[in-house]
Amino acid sequence: MTTLETTPSTTGSEQTRLRDISDAEFTGAYGCDRFTAAVILNRLRYAVEHMSTGFMREAFSPIIRDWYDFACTISGPPRHNYPMAVVSNSLVVFLGTLGDAVRNTVEEFGPENLSPGDVLICNDPYRGGTHVNDVCFIRPVFVDGEIVSFVNMRAHQLDMGGTVPGGFSATKSNVYENGLVIPPMLLWSRDEPVRSTFSLIFDNTRWGGMLLPDFKSIYQQLALGERLVLENIERYGLDAYLGTLTYACDTSAERMRDAIALVPDGEYTGSALIDADGLDDSIDYTVQVTLRKQGQDIEVDLSGTSAQARTCINCGVLDAKTAVGVALTMLLDPEVPFTSGTWRNIDLATPPGTLVSSLPPDGGIMMFWEASGAVVSAVFDALNPALGEKGVAGDYGSTNTHNASGVTADGTPWTSATQCGGEHGPWGATKEGDGDSYTVLFFLNNLDPATETIEHDSPVVMLRKEHAIDTGGPGTFRGGAANLKDTLWLSEGNHYLSPFRTKVPSGVGANGGEPGPNGAIWIFPPRDGADDRPAMLGTTPDVYATSTPVAGVLDPVTKALDPVDGEYHYFASRQVWQTKTGSILRCLTNGGGGWGDPFARDPERVLADVRNEYVSVAGAARDYGVVVIGDPRSDPEGLRIDVQATAALRNQPS
Amino acid sequence: MTEEHDTPPTPVLERIPVHGDCPRCGAEELRRYPVVSEGGWFEVVKCQQCLLSLDRSPWSRLGPIQLLTDLL
Ligand SMILES: [Zn+2]
Repeated sequence: MTTLETTPSTTGSEQTRLRDISDAEFTGAYGCDRFTAAVILNRLRYAVEHMSTGFMREAFSPIIRDWYDFACTISGPPRHNYPMAVVSNSLVVFLGTLGDAVRNTVEEFGPENLSPGDVLICNDPYRGGTHVNDVCFIRPVFVDGEIVSFVNMRAHQLDMGGTVPGGFSATKSNVYENGLVIPPMLLWSRDEPVRSTFSLIFDNTRWGGMLLPDFKSIYQQLALGERLVLENIERYGLDAYLGTLTYACDTSAERMRDAIALVPDGEYTGSALIDADGLDDSIDYTVQVTLRKQGQDIEVDLSGTSAQARTCINCGVLDAKTAVGVALTMLLDPEVPFTSGTWRNIDLATPPGTLVSSLPPDGGIMMFWEASGAVVSAVFDALNPALGEKGVAGDYGSTNTHNASGVTADGTPWTSATQCGGEHGPWGATKEGDGDSYTVLFFLNNLDPATETIEHDSPVVMLRKEHAIDTGGPGTFRGGAANLKDTLWLSEGNHYLSPFRTKVPSGVGANGGEPGPNGAIWIFPPRDGADDRPAMLGTTPDVYATSTPVAGVLDPVTKALDPVDGEYHYFASRQVWQTKTGSILRCLTNGGGGWGDPFARDPERVLADVRNEYVSVAGAARDYGVVVIGDPRSDPEGLRIDVQATAALRNQPS
Repeated sequence: MTEEHDTPPTPVLERIPVHGDCPRCGAEELRRYPVVSEGGWFEVVKCQQCLLSLDRSPWSRLGPIQLLTDLL
């Protein structure tokens, strides 16, 4: 079994295209005919989805059940260098790092030390990417005493020890404060649980009672995956199975090569800013990227990126690699299946010890997706000007993660993790249309927890979860709207808030579109002496004066957004934001960027936006040159466009 | 800004010059440095003009990170 080619242009010659090789050549290269390869690949995709569904159905942990914070993959054997050929439809940051995580974990443990029925684990960000909460579970698949494949899952565990319950905080200084680091170890050995490994985890983490049933479920899903892989090998033969894994990676590589070829040869630079780390706000952090593109190859150089942060807002190099793969996939060919082959013609060159290639023990890694998300933004920033209409506008940039815990009046402890901040928000617009409004960062691909679940599990009432008006970056296609979330807390609480990108827009424009505006976070303490139900908060700028700002660039007096003359408020000026019963937390995300000239937007689309309250009447005139007459609240059906006034506005010399 | 700190220096990737010229484009600008790509870390000798890799050898498994346990 050989792959057709495995390295970027070592010879510089044109590779034979997969569709152009003869049937005989195909069978020679991949151990089966084209039809069989397609059938096996689809059956393997079914396998990872089947594993995912099983886990989702059985999981006890809310972050699995409500967020889909896990992913499944199938990798090839050590002698093929562990190609990651099949991925589930789920969390992209997990998929991007799992290929390397499996290789690094198995190589360190020693494939010769593995047996049928083993489950190997590792959660070290430097060995496998992401953060310590994300544990990799790896099960070897044997045929006739030889490892032929691995079925894998990475799943977020609600707690991995360290100084902060749940772990989501930018304030931890190093790997020791961060949480338990598990090197490659067996969790099951020949289908028997390894008690010492379980004890290591339960003795060093909180909420083990939630972790244990999830571990058991993961074990069952891996056994299911193994069984389905073996059924395929039994039915189609080992050569056809292994050849299909190679074929899957070669397909990604070929399509990514074609996509890269669309970029004009040259050198492109871009950057993205992170506001501050968790120590103080004296340093902001820049991700700097230079893409050098020649023919079918790209070298992505992260030189110029800030040194690693003093607290755990860093990511590891495998996350940076994932981000580069995601950014190029989204910009160039979103249909490319995300396998190891995605990176065949991409080299990532990075100095060690940066914000996005941090080193232990001081370069702690927790909020990894924030740093690697800035890599995505920087690649967009670099390539958008070169791509013209193929450019893609930026997203809301930060999950603005919220974590809180406390004890209710009757003494019941509660915790709320990644539900009540600005975790969900908009995407930017593309040549295909407006940006989506309420989704997750480009490379996450999670679910949104249900309001009923959130209110059931914690003493909180979700007052608002809505699209904020005039927050999509104007363009021929509009950016998605920022999300405005108000939560009322029925108990005293300790809150951790981590918004990282409020200083400059993350929702960069594309093809002449405008960036989306930035958001912020405020806490509204209960009014003095008010024992009745707190009133809903308005959304006009005058409501903020009584607030305690947590983050954002705000007017020093009114505390309303003021991106031009405002003052930056630092999210970790208090490590823990303590709130009284009756406090309201407001999180406003950044807006998505617009695509194309806003004055070229079809006036009918602007009218529809006014009716749906994506755009105000004033915003329609100011941002789009469209004069809308009427009131969207009292008479939505009566709204109309003043054609003459619109023409006059749009034809004004700018 | 609440207080002033010295911003730490920006780390630099060392690209070691290699004698010779590129067999594809003729440029006399070959450099040796680590990259991460499909298959993990490699030390490459690469033309800085046309990106041709003259050599790609597997590098340290975790890149610049060394494990103390590797000394066992
Ligand atoms: Zn050259």
